[in-house]
Amino acid sequence: MLGANGSGKSTLLRCAVRLLEPDAGSVVLCGAELVGAHGRELREARRKAAMVFQQVLLVRRRSAVQNVAFGALGELPLRRSLSTRLFPAELAERAHASLARVGLADAAWKRADTLSGGQAQRVAIARALCQRAELVLADEPVASLDPHAAEEVLVLLGEIARVEGLATLVVLHQPELAFRYADRVIGIVSGEIVFDAPPASLDEQRVAALYEGAET
Amino acid sequence: MSETAAEAGLARRSFARPRALRRSALGLAGAAAGAALFVHAWQDTDASLTSLFHGFHNTVNLLGRAVPPDGSVFTDSIRASILTFDTALLGTAVALVLSLLLVPLAARNITPHRLAYEAARLVIGVTRAIPDFVFALIFLVAVGLGPFSVVLAIAAHSVGVIGKLFAEAVEDMDMGPVDALRAAGASRLQVFLHAVLPGIAATFTGLALYRLDTNVRSVLYLGAIGGGGLGFLLYNSLQLFQYQQATTELAVLLVLLLVVERVSLMIRQRIV
Repeated sequence: MLGANGSGKSTLLRCAVRLLEPDAGSVVLCGAELVGAHGRELREARRKAAMVFQQVLLVRRRSAVQNVAFGALGELPLRRSLSTRLFPAELAERAHASLARVGLADAAWKRADTLSGGQAQRVAIARALCQRAELVLADEPVASLDPHAAEEVLVLLGEIARVEGLATLVVLHQPELAFRYADRVIGIVSGEIVFDAPPASLDEQRVAALYEGAET
Repeated sequence: MSETAAEAGLARRSFARPRALRRSALGLAGAAAGAALFVHAWQDTDASLTSLFHGFHNTVNLLGRAVPPDGSVFTDSIRASILTFDTALLGTAVALVLSLLLVPLAARNITPHRLAYEAARLVIGVTRAIPDFVFALIFLVAVGLGPFSVVLAIAAHSVGVIGKLFAEAVEDMDMGPVDALRAAGASRLQVFLHAVLPGIAATFTGLALYRLDTNVRSVLYLGAIGGGGLGFLLYNSLQLFQYQQATTELAVLLVLLLVVERVSLMIRQRIV
């Protein structure tokens, strides 16, 4: 998904899991209506979508593997989630497997605040995997990474999307990256979708039009 | 010369902004009021340089009668200082548990409801506003003389103090991990346990230890009004003119305060 600053990309993703409250309308996520949902109902719905954020939002004083396991908190009953020691063994296995999947098996016990930006973002992706969501929503996941780490993260997201069959929506600021990795490119202006097409059928002008007249 | 020109000339010759005349009149009145306040305070407290001089004289006299320290009260002083510490420890611990229950409600950024927030803030505001001394007077009546009433007083007042500091620490924290876990479908309690607490556990421990240190001092003077402990011993010795006993008790007191302060500081430095 491409769009100028302030066009509503992040707002859309945050509304999709109701981290933001939409002013009006409805949010249907994997078949469930989120607006007006409360408590358990809302949490069940949120579990279906895994978020990867622009700033890597890991719990800094916890290890990488614990952070990955936190993705699955929503499925744990309260008594098994009071402490990480009470997490089921199956979850620990899954968390380690998810970390291995993003190439960080060796960093499992490193504290989150000692990881590099790229590593941390991969841990966040592992957390999304561990959540066993049906959909991954990534909000500018490479905005704070150097080109090399950005490349790694996008390759990883693409790979996971294809191998795991996970629908993945990635907000990007660099059209060239979108064209390189996406199957579909969605352009939005002021909250409205202006195109939604495979990259091959889009030309530069239509993409450039997204950023015209926008304040940057 | 027109009036405005005169004003402009005046303005050019001073650093004061125009209309400063009225302001300086106000300032003068304010200064006078302030001075009156201090004069009143001086008279109200019977402050006098003569008393200060006599007081100094008496103090020297007292010091003379306070040596050598009376060793016979040493074991009692040690026992009392342990009681003082226990009182502070228990009071602080109770306050800590209660504050931890209040914080999820009293921090604006994680509170489940505005009403819960207001209610929790009210509890914190009221208990913080009421001094531990007043609480002690109340609990002395309620549960009788003795250290337990001081435990309750310390706990009641510290709930407000610790609760406020904890809630502010939570309000200042990085909300990122909280959003991340909420987005993944974690419940409020799960988010609190795994995203909020790890981020502020060190701050909490530091604040709790600092509060323990402060509470040891409070227990000393609350002891004097009937709570027992070292403060009570010291107060009695002075009332009974047993200055040599008081010296021993003061020495033990000093060691207690220093040890608590040093240990709490050491732990705080280790965890930050």
